[in-house]
Amino acid sequence: MKQSPLRHYWQVYKKMASTSASVEMSFRISFCLLVLMDLFFFLSILASVSFIYDHVQTIGPWNRDQLLFFSAFMLTIDNIHMGLVSTNFWMLSFAIRTGELDFTLIKPTHSLFTVFFRQIRPSSFVTLPVAWGILIHYGIKVQLSALDWCLIPLFLILGLTLLCLIEFIVSTSMFWLTEGTGINFLRMQMQQLSRWPNFVYSSLSRKVLTTALPVLLIGSAPVHFIYDKNYWPLIVAMLVAIAACYSVLLFVWNIGLKNYDSASS
Amino acid sequence: MQSIISSQKLTKEFQSYKKEPGFLGTLKSFVSRESIRKKAVDEFSFNIEEGEIIGLLGPNGAGKTTLMKMFTGIIVPSSGELSIMGHRPSDRDKQFRKNIALVMGQKSQLWWDIPAMDSFLLLQRFYEVSDADFEERIEEMSTLLGVKELLNVHVRKLSLGERMKMELMASLLHNPKVIFLDEPTIGLDLVAQENIRQFILDFHRKNNTTIIITSHYMADVNALCERLVLIFDGKKAFDGPISEFEKILGSEKNVSFTFDSSQDTAAEIWNDRDADWNENKTVVELRIPEESLREVSLEILKYLPVTEFNTEKMPIERVMKTLMENPEILRNCEGSGENMLCR
Repeated sequence: MKQSPLRHYWQVYKKMASTSASVEMSFRISFCLLVLMDLFFFLSILASVSFIYDHVQTIGPWNRDQLLFFSAFMLTIDNIHMGLVSTNFWMLSFAIRTGELDFTLIKPTHSLFTVFFRQIRPSSFVTLPVAWGILIHYGIKVQLSALDWCLIPLFLILGLTLLCLIEFIVSTSMFWLTEGTGINFLRMQMQQLSRWPNFVYSSLSRKVLTTALPVLLIGSAPVHFIYDKNYWPLIVAMLVAIAACYSVLLFVWNIGLKNYDSASS
Repeated sequence: MQSIISSQKLTKEFQSYKKEPGFLGTLKSFVSRESIRKKAVDEFSFNIEEGEIIGLLGPNGAGKTTLMKMFTGIIVPSSGELSIMGHRPSDRDKQFRKNIALVMGQKSQLWWDIPAMDSFLLLQRFYEVSDADFEERIEEMSTLLGVKELLNVHVRKLSLGERMKMELMASLLHNPKVIFLDEPTIGLDLVAQENIRQFILDFHRKNNTTIIITSHYMADVNALCERLVLIFDGKKAFDGPISEFEKILGSEKNVSFTFDSSQDTAAEIWNDRDADWNENKTVVELRIPEESLREVSLEILKYLPVTEFNTEKMPIERVMKTLMENPEILRNCEGSGENMLCR
């Protein structure tokens, strides 16, 4: 049964998604707790921003609604990220330690795909309408144009892609470190950094976090562009960062695979 | 015939580090680590022809699983050449991976929290198996293995033997050309072991698949393999037919006689026979040269009250046990493969 590569990967992905959904939904209480956890997370982020604006008029060039729109944009990326890939980062370390990765590596698909897209977290899809609702609510408040509304899905995809690529690169170090807890917390700290707009950082930090470790491009680049089209160089930087991270990922991933020792049986 | 697997001076070196016991040892190793490099496989060369079933034997830690992992492209060799069906496994070509299968008795590729059938359906997508082929193979394999009723039971609820049968099905769904079986019967009861052996033989007969199997159960090797490769400390120590392997310690046969009463162990008939008696002197085990087996056995049967007479069922087991207990024997071996003789 020959099919195009795209169709083959789509067929596999659909089945992996439905299989992991079956697993997760068989543990009902855990599933409900994850939904609640996501909702608390949304609330805590928005409440933090709101609380700061109870005491100041603006942060950098943005008012309350503008920063809340930015936070909603990042929450939507986070939500899709949690649903599609987040579980896999935790599983990679386990798979390397136990040798479970062996079976992943012999599957006839690219190992990056099989490693990072194997498990979904369906509870995050339950909260996705909430994330979108918040994004739309603050989008209306900041009076987005029709073009901006059309660009939002594209920017969400670009932001998510960049976030995933950076995290995949960082997670590849698990091939050398084996234990992934430290790496996973580092990854989460990077997410935390990206949840604030670039202007809250000092000049040097901003440069580092825009170039060497471009986490600030994930949300700041598109949202700045949405508010002011003169920020188009940030979008170009974002596209360059995606291309560069993809190349770096392929390079380090192949070195990681060569370094993989596999656990003894 | 054409070699389907060929390795030349295949070597794999692993690095690990020493750690002294206790908390102080932990602190020391946190600051400074003494690394150790060990060759798990050392210049291993061999060829396998299409359709062969090879038994890869050796004690724990000899390098069998490391070899299997290099064959399947899971780990990359430190040096040497390896070709399987014209592919270098470490390149991980899609076509290569679609034509191999790996079964590990101590690891599972099935999803633990769902029925095996769900994992099979996922594998169907991975290996692009058509619906018709998939249904036919599931029907055939589940019937042969007697697990048809268990396909929709959660994997975590299956017994070890049942799970192993599902693992085999999962690995063979895409009809691979080369199968690597790493201790597929480990921990299984005798009936389950026998079922799995029979299934592998049937599959091989039907598809002319090339199979490499590692096992610590000599019954597996005896039932499945015609050729054995012995690996000790990462190096190939023997490569040849089972019949020759049985003779590498010499061509003497182990024979046991049970008598209806205690016997005189000092009698002349037992001289030069390496007699090993039980406590009651009612059972004796002898090592008799192959050429005089008939003559000596007849003499004992004729003159003594024998109630039971057994020749060794699996000489391979004795040879393996002797070699594992006395690996230095291999250093004194002359020749190789079929002509190998150890003293």
